[in-house]
Amino acid sequence: MSMLFVLKMMWRELRASWTRLTFFFLCLAIGVASIVSLRSLVQNIQTSLDKEAKSVLGADVSLRTEQPWSDELDAVIKTRLLSVQSVQQTRTIDVTTVARANEGIDSTARVVEVRGVEEAFPFYGAFELLGSEDYSFDLLRDNGALVAPEVLSQLNVSIGDRVIIGALSFVVRGVIQKEPGRRMGGLGLGPRILVSYVGVKDAGLQGVASRANRQLLLKVNENRIESLVDELQVDLKDSFVRVSSYSETGNRIQENLKRTENYLSLVGLGIVILGGIGVWSVTRVFIQERIRSISILKCLGSTNYQVLAIYVLQVLCLGIGGSFLGLGLAKVSLMSVPDSLTEQAALMAGISNIAIDISSSAALQGLAVGVLVSMFFAFVPLLEIRHVKPLLLMRQGGNESESDFDWVRTVTTAFVGLGLVLLAIWQAGSFEIGLYVVGGFSLVGCTLYGLVGVVKHVVSPLEKSRWFVIRHAALSLRRPGNQTKVVLLSVGLGSFFIIGIQATQLNILRAFELELQEDGPDMFMIDVQQDQADGVKEIVTSGGDGALRLIPVLRARITGVDGKTLDFDSAREARSAGLGREYTVTYRSFLEENEKILLGEFWDETQAIEPEVSIEKDLYEDRDINLGDVIHFNVMGRNFPARVTSVREVRWDDSRNGGFFFLFRPGSFGDAPHSYLAFVKGPEGSEARIAVQQQIMSRYPNVSVIDGLTVIGTVRRMLDYVALAISIVGAIALFSGSLILIGSVAMTKFQRIYESAIFKTLGVDSRSLGLMLAVEYGLLGFVAGVVGSIGSLFLTWVLTRQVFSLPWDPFVTLNIFGVIATTALVVLVGLLSSIDVLKRRPLAALHAE
Amino acid sequence: MPEKKMIELQGVCKKVASGNHSLTILQPTDLSVAAGEFVSIIGPSGSGKSTLLGLIAGLDVPTSGHVFVDTVDVTDLDEDRLAKFRGENVGFVFQFFHLIPSLKAIENIAVPLEIAGERDAFKKARDLLDEVGLTARGDHYPWQLSGGEQQRVAIARALANDPQVLLADEPTGNLDSRSGGQVVDLLLKVNKVLGTTIVMVTHDSELTSRSSRVLKMRDGKLDLH
Repeated sequence: MSMLFVLKMMWRELRASWTRLTFFFLCLAIGVASIVSLRSLVQNIQTSLDKEAKSVLGADVSLRTEQPWSDELDAVIKTRLLSVQSVQQTRTIDVTTVARANEGIDSTARVVEVRGVEEAFPFYGAFELLGSEDYSFDLLRDNGALVAPEVLSQLNVSIGDRVIIGALSFVVRGVIQKEPGRRMGGLGLGPRILVSYVGVKDAGLQGVASRANRQLLLKVNENRIESLVDELQVDLKDSFVRVSSYSETGNRIQENLKRTENYLSLVGLGIVILGGIGVWSVTRVFIQERIRSISILKCLGSTNYQVLAIYVLQVLCLGIGGSFLGLGLAKVSLMSVPDSLTEQAALMAGISNIAIDISSSAALQGLAVGVLVSMFFAFVPLLEIRHVKPLLLMRQGGNESESDFDWVRTVTTAFVGLGLVLLAIWQAGSFEIGLYVVGGFSLVGCTLYGLVGVVKHVVSPLEKSRWFVIRHAALSLRRPGNQTKVVLLSVGLGSFFIIGIQATQLNILRAFELELQEDGPDMFMIDVQQDQADGVKEIVTSGGDGALRLIPVLRARITGVDGKTLDFDSAREARSAGLGREYTVTYRSFLEENEKILLGEFWDETQAIEPEVSIEKDLYEDRDINLGDVIHFNVMGRNFPARVTSVREVRWDDSRNGGFFFLFRPGSFGDAPHSYLAFVKGPEGSEARIAVQQQIMSRYPNVSVIDGLTVIGTVRRMLDYVALAISIVGAIALFSGSLILIGSVAMTKFQRIYESAIFKTLGVDSRSLGLMLAVEYGLLGFVAGVVGSIGSLFLTWVLTRQVFSLPWDPFVTLNIFGVIATTALVVLVGLLSSIDVLKRRPLAALHAE
Repeated sequence: MPEKKMIELQGVCKKVASGNHSLTILQPTDLSVAAGEFVSIIGPSGSGKSTLLGLIAGLDVPTSGHVFVDTVDVTDLDEDRLAKFRGENVGFVFQFFHLIPSLKAIENIAVPLEIAGERDAFKKARDLLDEVGLTARGDHYPWQLSGGEQQRVAIARALANDPQVLLADEPTGNLDSRSGGQVVDLLLKVNKVLGTTIVMVTHDSELTSRSSRVLKMRDGKLDLH
């Protein structure tokens, strides 16, 4: 057998028909481009994060605790570290406290975050100071301090001035621009002041500071890190010390990145699969048109294998070509990502920069997906080549396919299905989600396939219609060689995917919107006492524009459930019960918008006779606390046994109204003193904001005011970028999906040319022919739209709940609009693509046949 | 020396399913064609002429009986071996030419040579193109050629592998008389010069008059003259 012949024939066929086929491989290219560019982008960020993870922590291993280091703990750690070669260690302490300027008119105290470090800190990364000066520990010796830029403005001091922290005064020796061990976007209570470890001790901050965070940082050999973390975790399991390695600190961000990467790739895969459906329909039509050529080849002595090889190679070439084109598109789109965007992203991730380029693994994945999908979808229709008989050349009429069960096709179809499932699992990075997505596609596909018969049956009464147009529109749905199946499948799956992605996008963006509310509170106050509430209100409403919201809070520790008292000496026991920590609790007589009662009954406006509590559903599910149980709360030394009367669901993503695990009925705490959390939207302009803060702090020194504007702004910008990325992907999905729909529907016209010519010869005018087409396409578009739309609900549910863990809401208007748009699009494309069929002189078409 | 039998049909019969019962389109037929003969088959539409031709070429399988071409029982061969046999031994000319539309004239002629793995496929194809008088038309696609030219390309293609048998299904049926005349001359030349055995279905009285034997068919039966 001459392979050369196959290659030559492939080239000749490609030469003749590439324009027709290219369209679909362009769609494939768009899908591949989105997979490659999105994956690369996320992987670039990930790589940069991995690279700089150590400098984010400043060390290899961190041991962190809020309790002072005891001799006992020190001994345990020391013993363990004896087994480690060449270990270096250093301690840090973080304290939230107040600072004031030593001299000058304005000596108001401001909340600051003081970090005390030793000479060895940091092991990785470096401090960057404003100006040309380099960081050295000498700047911190003898009560020196380095401060964040905000400290200078808030305390009205400059370099060389002194600030008082605790019992000591420190000389400001420099301004910190960037420091290791701190990410942007973290909610700090105040700006940073860096001093020496000894300085924190000498200032007497260790004793009083309840919010002190102590770290012991280690530098060890790379290959010892994981095992050391494991060993220390065992050694310290009975203490309140958390042990982690540098790679775990970025875990949350990395998990989110992975999830985003997989979602975006999944959308990319969806686009590729749609492209595949386009490939399937174009291959089908293509083979139909090539039947004569195929039978000539067979008549001239070509074997089935040779002919099949010619066309398989052709698809392979176009698949490879389309995929490489996709790579090119990805490269171009990544190059056009503006530097400002990557700088922002780097800043938010707490790393120095992100290099944007196509990653080789993303490129390989994109190529593999593009080629595999085009082969998968082309192979089954190509198998029809085997049934083409050379005898066809001697007889008029179509190629009658064998009615026998075609086991080769069945087995191939099964393999292709399996291949697609594996591909989706690979791309989704999750067995479950891959299965869900392919399951969704196949479920919708099978439903549509099943509906082919139903549609034909349902429209059959129309075949007796007295109106010629309706009669023939209905008839053409079941005529031999009809396009009912192709249009229903491709359009139905297309609308399923497009509507599904749009609805998912709406769900995600809506969740973001809740966090991005422009008029949401951006200034928070902690520890507002009952008798200070009115005064605070007065300052805020006179200086700001927002209404003050006060939420009563108490700190409560759970001592037991149903009489089972917990022993606090054993941290392990308390932990295993999940109840050892202190909770911030509140009371009110109403539910917030983001709350819903799942079990039991919520109280009315009246005061509690005996304490009642409503618990969050996680406590009910995970901690085994039930309705009717009595939980013992310790509030400032007093015991309050409260009965659980309801279980609530709290939508944590809707942070406008906050969230509490324990909500009490008013009156439950009798006259126990409590303080308030205050939320307010602060005034515009930093000077006005500082004025409000200073007034409150000078009148009520116990109140901490946190200006959340910077942090909220950072979070907003970040979410804006994510929203933008998701919208862009959604738009790509919409664009390429529509392109494929248009292509698939347009392809069906080739089978209409001949029959339209005959109709015309028999005297049917173009208008009636057009109407006939409109009715037929309209019917198909509508059915496909309805099935796709219903299926998309399932897709949206899976993506929002399973991939993003967000609450899911159906968008009914979107679904209805989707059905209408699908129907309209199919009719429009059907008619537009048939214009030449309608206008063509019948003789030309008949001659061509 | 006895005349060599190039084609032999032994009790060849073809039935097709038509609704619930079967329809006999070719009654059991015996036929023998000697090497170098030029046989014409005539008969009204639907009499079974093309069916007979298709069976000889192995394009169709008889319901019963055997077809021998150059002593090979083609009814015994599976589809791929049949394709190979056809490619090497049988040339075909159709009423509607059946050139591959995506291929240039020269490429159409080269296809059977390439399938057979011939090295100088294009050189030979060019010779054949000269032979049929279309030297200048090699790089034209079928739709750029007239009907007569297309049929001459088809004949060149049929002769590419020096087949022993050339089967023609109404080769002039779709041509004007001048083009038809050229095609007839070409076929006769092939028969005389190359000694190729030709079996041809035709309505053309000029062709029948110039063939060595004429077979008449009616209602699926062969009427041997």
